[in-house]
Amino acid sequence: MSAAEHSSKGVENAIVRQAEFPIGIDLYPLDEERRGWADWYDRDMEPEFSALADARVWLVRIFVSWKYFEPQVGQYDEDAAGRLDAILDMASAHDMKVLVSLFADDRLAEMTDVPWGKRRDPRTDDYLIQREISLAQRVVNRYRAHPVVWGWELANEAFCTGFKSESDLERWTTMLRDAIREVDVERPVLLGVDPETLFRTTGVDARGAIDMNEYAVSHLTAPYRVYAAEGPVTSGPATYLEGFLLRAAARDLPVLVDGVGVQSLDFSLAEEAASIRTSLYSALMNGASGVMVRRYRDLETEKREPYFRDPFEVLVGVADVEGEVKPSLGEIKRFARVAARVDRRRYQPAPERVAVLMPAERYEPLPSLAGLYGPRACLQAYIGAKEAHLPVDVVREGDELGAHHALIIPSAMKLSPGTWSEVAAFVQGGGSVVMSYGGGDTDPAVREIFGIEFLGDHGVRRTVSCRVAQPGVLGELCSFDARLELPHFALLGHGGATIVATDATGSPLLTVNQYGQGKAVYIAAPLERALAQGDPWAAPAAVRDLLRTVYGSVARAAGAGPIVDCDTPEVEVAVFMGEEDDLVIALNHSPEAVTAMLSVERVVASVADARGGIPADVGGKTFGVPLASNGAAALRLSYS
Amino acid sequence: MTARSSQVLMAEGLARSEQVPAAVEACYDALAVNDAEPFAHCLLAHLLLEGDFYDEAIAEATRAIELDPDCSPAYLALGLAYDRRGGMWDQSVLVWHELAEVVPDLVTAHVQLGEAFGAAQFEEEAIDSWKRALELDPKEARALYNLAIAALKREGMATALPGFRKAGELDPSQDDLFFALLGIRSVPDRVVDPAKVREDRDSRLGAAALAARADDLFVTAELVRMVLDEDPDDADALALAAFTYLKQEAANEAMACALRAVAIKPDLATALYTLGVVYSRRAGLSKHAARVFIAFTKAASQHALAHVLLAESLLGLQRYSQSKKAYRVAIRLDPACVRARFGLAAVHLTEGLHAEADWEVRRAAYYDTRRQGLFWRLYDEYAEGGAS
Repeated sequence: MSAAEHSSKGVENAIVRQAEFPIGIDLYPLDEERRGWADWYDRDMEPEFSALADARVWLVRIFVSWKYFEPQVGQYDEDAAGRLDAILDMASAHDMKVLVSLFADDRLAEMTDVPWGKRRDPRTDDYLIQREISLAQRVVNRYRAHPVVWGWELANEAFCTGFKSESDLERWTTMLRDAIREVDVERPVLLGVDPETLFRTTGVDARGAIDMNEYAVSHLTAPYRVYAAEGPVTSGPATYLEGFLLRAAARDLPVLVDGVGVQSLDFSLAEEAASIRTSLYSALMNGASGVMVRRYRDLETEKREPYFRDPFEVLVGVADVEGEVKPSLGEIKRFARVAARVDRRRYQPAPERVAVLMPAERYEPLPSLAGLYGPRACLQAYIGAKEAHLPVDVVREGDELGAHHALIIPSAMKLSPGTWSEVAAFVQGGGSVVMSYGGGDTDPAVREIFGIEFLGDHGVRRTVSCRVAQPGVLGELCSFDARLELPHFALLGHGGATIVATDATGSPLLTVNQYGQGKAVYIAAPLERALAQGDPWAAPAAVRDLLRTVYGSVARAAGAGPIVDCDTPEVEVAVFMGEEDDLVIALNHSPEAVTAMLSVERVVASVADARGGIPADVGGKTFGVPLASNGAAALRLSYS
Repeated sequence: MTARSSQVLMAEGLARSEQVPAAVEACYDALAVNDAEPFAHCLLAHLLLEGDFYDEAIAEATRAIELDPDCSPAYLALGLAYDRRGGMWDQSVLVWHELAEVVPDLVTAHVQLGEAFGAAQFEEEAIDSWKRALELDPKEARALYNLAIAALKREGMATALPGFRKAGELDPSQDDLFFALLGIRSVPDRVVDPAKVREDRDSRLGAAALAARADDLFVTAELVRMVLDEDPDDADALALAAFTYLKQEAANEAMACALRAVAIKPDLATALYTLGVVYSRRAGLSKHAARVFIAFTKAASQHALAHVLLAESLLGLQRYSQSKKAYRVAIRLDPACVRARFGLAAVHLTEGLHAEADWEVRRAAYYDTRRQGLFWRLYDEYAEGGAS
């Protein structure tokens, strides 16, 4: 393809690319396991770039190999720089940008395994860190004026899992970041780790290090998926996990959703495509500032007997080992057209007035199980709020609560005294809170805020029984008995709260208390944890309904209800509000096709596909949206 | 017997009574005293596995095996943790292989080994393992289900269906369903003596049902005959008679009695159950079975197995989407229903949903192994110095 053709293609693509929401993909140095570290990007990458440009991918991440760049101490390989030049030129020719990852581990190309390092740790050894700084400055200096470079990634998550402490990680990040800033003050610098998944893997809290940079990263790793939402990737809790991590990773920084795509070769092509579609839309709907797909080409693993599967998560791409593109790339292309229409200067996402609070006990090590139960319970609460179609955020204990109107504290065993004071002030000031019992003794603040007397823990129960005593107080609740193992059940005495529902023996299950200007709802059992610890794919519908109804009712009463309501819990809805019209994105989290009925407060004149097309007249406040299995729809709503 | 510290014994007691947080703390107390205590690491692995914390369970079980390579319960915990975590099939195969050698008569080790081979795409080795499990226990339903799933993948539903039927027939919970419909939950601990049964209809029928539960079909038949002598149109007695015939493989007689009972009382659950089962076992009557089971699920809507029976009859008719719905209802009612999980896996495979199918098989394996309480059996044997 000639330069002129590239250029004209670039103009065409510019119409359907959104620079403020980059869609990117990782281009790994090696696509075949049999090749060695010296084969770093030693291949014709033109077909990859062409296919990606055709799919409207705007950003590629490439990985610098320290080993290849600096084979001897202080001696830099000009071939390496030449190959990198060629990649950047190719990206430029296709009107794409490049995110350069400086210190990454892909478990294959030995990129940070410098032979002269003598097995010292490049994360903590002062001498090696100085060498890393030299390399980083050399690379950044070479390309600082190159318009194709979008940003600098200090390290990826695989590299960062080697850090043993927060202080080591923060020190390393500070030194590398400062070194880059000496050379390039413009382009964003980021650390490619997700604070939640890295903590789960290493016990290292990366939040301090992340906050030093311009972007945060959300990255669902294979082990974290197994931990938090084991099971099929195209239905159930797994489909909400990326949105949850994205919300949890947002730390007043734009968030790049990293590692989009399935993590093993267990899936059919259709399942891979459905998974990518769900992840991409989930990212857009939950406020991401960009997405990075896991890899372009499947890694061709060696068929060594008896086991030839590779457990590493960077295995599966959007093209097969022959380079034939899969349906997943088509999904990216279609998504890019939608993302391009969500212009953040014209449309603002609906504000999240509901928050799920992740307690600080999440950071407690074993033998406390709170650190293991906490995130799972929070994920279930997040799903419950999403099923109630609430615009929901995830905050951590200690974060500012002021921006929210309703707070969900799921199955927490304990909160700090400072948090109790904040919660009390939050409710007194008109906020609403839903809290479920997490086991053990309760804080005295529970009596004050929730108006209940804690009489003890009744222990394990095999059945959840609900008898509605006050219909309509917390939505349309139904009485039921459902088989679900509860690890705890709080026996509650009267302390002024209204008992909305009881168990089968008359012990309060659900209470509501007016405290100051706000409402405090207490659930006597850790329902969210019970759902997570049971079988989330076969959770009793009645218990899910109960949570959904309570969350929805409390949020609505607090003025934090959905802007666009929906009759189908499995359909997630996001609204981007414009001056003249709104964009609504609906995502089906179920593997079954559905027709979701959406309701808005104003009369909708017409609905059109956000990508363009003929508007369909509505003339009402309710309209149906057919969604295929794991399907998504982006609609432009015009009002009368 | 291997000596265990008092801290380990305390942790053990708490773990047996399912007080997981307290048991975990007690294990840590034991490890604070002696970090090289395989029992504590092994218990901890089991407890963490119960909470589905696989990475932590793997670490503890591995440590227990490092400390004592004969620690069979640790192999079990490690293998299960690898399987449930997924993506570590090579390690899983090695662990189950090891456990099958340490405890050669442990049927589940062979079944799990087959499942690990299957997940790693070694179909032949998987089939060999399941066949080995069936040699050890011909009534091992999970091995049969796995073989049926393997047949489905290789040759299609027609080849797989007999396997599903055979596995279903081995399911003891099907009889439990019939007796649950009669309000009998457990096998009576006393023998029913017909001479001591009061001479009224309800007493005779109740005693007949108890005798049937205890597999005393002669007494059942005698008591049912007495009831029918007095009222030949007693639908409850006819349904019990049909069940008795069914247990004796007298399908025609069972069908006649059940049909008569349904004609008299169209919504009698016991009669519908028996009639549906008879139909489902007769070639060419699958459609009839499905119709009867539809009525049966209405009469016994809260019983997971009722929906499984309907789903299986629909599977035989190749009505996969309806079958899937019925299986899903069954799983919602009872997530531990292994039969429903395997059936749903089969439906998913017909739809090309491989990940969903694998998940259902894995969950079936999880619940089946958990149901057997194998960990404590191996743990006690290990503590006694038996199997090791």
